Amino acid sequence: MSNFYQLVYNELNKIYIRKSTWVMYVILAALIIGGAVLTNSIDDGLNKYDDDNWREVLQEENTALEQEITEYESDDFIAQINTSEIGKNNYYLENDIQPQYGAWQYVLENQGMLSIVSLLTIIVAAGIVANEFRWGTIKLLLIRPITRTKILASKYVSVLIFALFTLLFVLLFSLIVGALFFGLDGINPSIVVEQGEGFTDVSALSQILSGYGYGMVNLIMMTTFAFMISTVFRNSSLAIGTAIFLMMAGNTIVAIFMEKSWAKYILFANTDLSQYANGGEPWIEGTSLGFSIIVLIVYFIIFQLLSWFFFNKRDIAGN
Amino acid sequence: MTEIAMELIDLKKTIGKKEIIKGLSFTINRGEVFGFIGPNGAGKTTTIRMMVGLMEITDGDVRILGNSIKQHFKEAIREVGAIVENPEMYPFMTGWQNLSHFARMIPGIGKERIHEVIEIVGLEKVINQKAGKYSLGMRQRLGIAQALLHKPSILILDEPTNGLDPAGIREIRHYIRKLATEENVAVIISSHLLSEIELMCDRIGIIKNGELVATQLVNDTTTDHTNLRQVTLEVKPINQAIEVLKANHEIDAIQEGEQLQFQSEKETIPNVIETFVKHGIAVYQVGVSKATLEDKFFDLIGENTIE
Repeated sequence: MSNFYQLVYNELNKIYIRKSTWVMYVILAALIIGGAVLTNSIDDGLNKYDDDNWREVLQEENTALEQEITEYESDDFIAQINTSEIGKNNYYLENDIQPQYGAWQYVLENQGMLSIVSLLTIIVAAGIVANEFRWGTIKLLLIRPITRTKILASKYVSVLIFALFTLLFVLLFSLIVGALFFGLDGINPSIVVEQGEGFTDVSALSQILSGYGYGMVNLIMMTTFAFMISTVFRNSSLAIGTAIFLMMAGNTIVAIFMEKSWAKYILFANTDLSQYANGGEPWIEGTSLGFSIIVLIVYFIIFQLLSWFFFNKRDIAGN
Repeated sequence: MTEIAMELIDLKKTIGKKEIIKGLSFTINRGEVFGFIGPNGAGKTTTIRMMVGLMEITDGDVRILGNSIKQHFKEAIREVGAIVENPEMYPFMTGWQNLSHFARMIPGIGKERIHEVIEIVGLEKVINQKAGKYSLGMRQRLGIAQALLHKPSILILDEPTNGLDPAGIREIRHYIRKLATEENVAVIISSHLLSEIELMCDRIGIIKNGELVATQLVNDTTTDHTNLRQVTLEVKPINQAIEVLKANHEIDAIQEGEQLQFQSEKETIPNVIETFVKHGIAVYQVGVSKATLEDKFFDLIGENTIE
């Protein structure tokens, strides 16, 4: 097993020794700082609840929102958003909670960064096998007393570790930047979120963990997919292209085939496990949490088997 | 007492319907430098790839110190160090980082050993530069260093002198000989540079169209167990001499300036001269030289080397 650890060390070393990897982190950092600057400058009312008259501020806001709804009567979208916003404000008022915006809130809002993390992980996964072929170093890797299966496994595990490191970086850096810009509101403050039928206040940490956790499902599936394409076709561009395309178009694909009886077997109909939380209606008829997990596992095994099969069976011919 | 390091047993490779390697069988002993030569496309690299398990063997087997590369890959490959085709390294890592990377893949290789191989190939000065900035010769040396890390019993080098300057070639040649005699390593060298093979190897195997045409000791050509001779004659008239040769001995001679050249067995030389004398052809000078490896090579594979 110590041998496997050395292999993973080698793979991570090869990832982090390259400048292109650090460029990814610089971009992530820039996005996080940029997001904070933007939030700070656009949302001028971030501190509007800080004074003692926050209850009146909330009331005024509600009146304004209601006015907007009557103004744009035909627009369902505005009605929906504003109603939700009013509900949230009412929850603050009813439970006498003073709204606050702090570092944790910022971390939670940065959930969108997860798709950037997915993107970067896909790029790493797409290159980790294909690049060895491009550099010609695959020949040197495979003439060691180590089975091909073990080498492939060490590469896959390294990709997951990269994803984990990158995710931790996003979380910690968001928290730090959030603390600098908006202040640190305690170790684990509670925040108000809409859940199922109404609003509740929950621990920020658990909210962050579940939010990012649900997002990880898609990240892992698309990364495994990119890894498979990279191993089967030995072409990193193809792997990046197809994986990112599917990641973006996944929901559209499901929407197109929604009426078909087999729509529930499409990978992307099952990657969002949060749809089953809080007793909500599933997106596609006939799916359930258990069903989705089984579908995900089946896809995962297929991707892994294909990677394994092609990596083990193929002759390593000229470049 | 010779100990077999590697054994090829009726090795075959078929890709699609084309048989690329058609049943190679030969052995390489420990302490021996074996030259593997043949024209481009003869199947040298394919054979080497099968030796190290990079390509699946269609039929037959490769045994390394008795272990089949098919059934006991790990035990077999543990004893092999190799460069297959070009010496490719991670361009974004330094020479040292490249070597540590490969050292970590086999247990028991410490820093001292890395220093040792760097010294062997003479890369001390550039070891902390990125491998991407290395010249072909430097990459070749790094490739050899990588192959030596785990003290293999068999060293396989594909065109090892490629890109090296004459001094470098001499150095590597010297080192390869030393490995074979002092450390009892079997060295397999593929090359198309015949003169190189001649200087470095104890024995050569000539491969053509996926078949082994011959294996022979390099010394054979100099101490001579074969009878082939390169004959140069100064005769007059030349045209008549060529005809006489063709008619009486079925030898195709070529005219080289004032001289006549042909190859024949040692025993036929007196007969040829006798014939010339009978036909009234004046013989001024007879030069006989042993056939070089190069002559042999072309003899065995024919002039048209690429098919």
